[in-house]
Amino acid sequence: MKLSRYEYTADGHAELFMFTSVGPKGAIKKLVVYSQMLQNDIYNLGFGDYNEDNGTIDDIVITDNNDSQKILATVASTLYVFTDKHPDVWVYATGSNTARTRLYRMGITTNLEEIIVDFEVYGLQNETWHEFKKGEDYQAFLVKRKF
Amino acid sequence: MTTIEKLNKSKVPIVKIDKSLNKLRGKNLFPEKLAKANETIAKVGLPKK
Repeated sequence: MKLSRYEYTADGHAELFMFTSVGPKGAIKKLVVYSQMLQNDIYNLGFGDYNEDNGTIDDIVITDNNDSQKILATVASTLYVFTDKHPDVWVYATGSNTARTRLYRMGITTNLEEIIVDFEVYGLQNETWHEFKKGEDYQAFLVKRKF
Repeated sequence: MTTIEKLNKSKVPIVKIDKSLNKLRGKNLFPEKLAKANETIAKVGLPKK
């Protein structure tokens, strides 16, 4: 990604990534999690604010740290690390609400030319997967690394 | 191309391993989201090629 991003750490399996968002609201720890779904070749991508005290993630909170593009670029970057370690899987992603799903769509749209070089990208529309197109509204996204 | 040039051009960043993250492995950190995702995939499947 050409956008600036945060540096992050990962667990040894490249399924958990942590970074710190820095902005007007302070330093906020973020966790990116790839969770294996019931269909073993699909992983769900989730991320949110990490609460170290109780080990939970809040993916609904609006942090408002003026860095949403940098956060999305960081999450997108983890996709490269994850799919390097898990090359044959699909990654499913959707926002915690409609506004956040739209934010994901905007993030993909902004970087689509670069993303499609390395990934197949699909959007879910009326219960059918379509190749991702700019300007279309989607309920969820599915990506797979091209090798 | 030298190794350093290759690393600089790579889209896959060098990532530091944080062993403390291992304690979160195997935990269902997004139970509702994961359940909904499984439900959606069960219904719509994967893209048809």
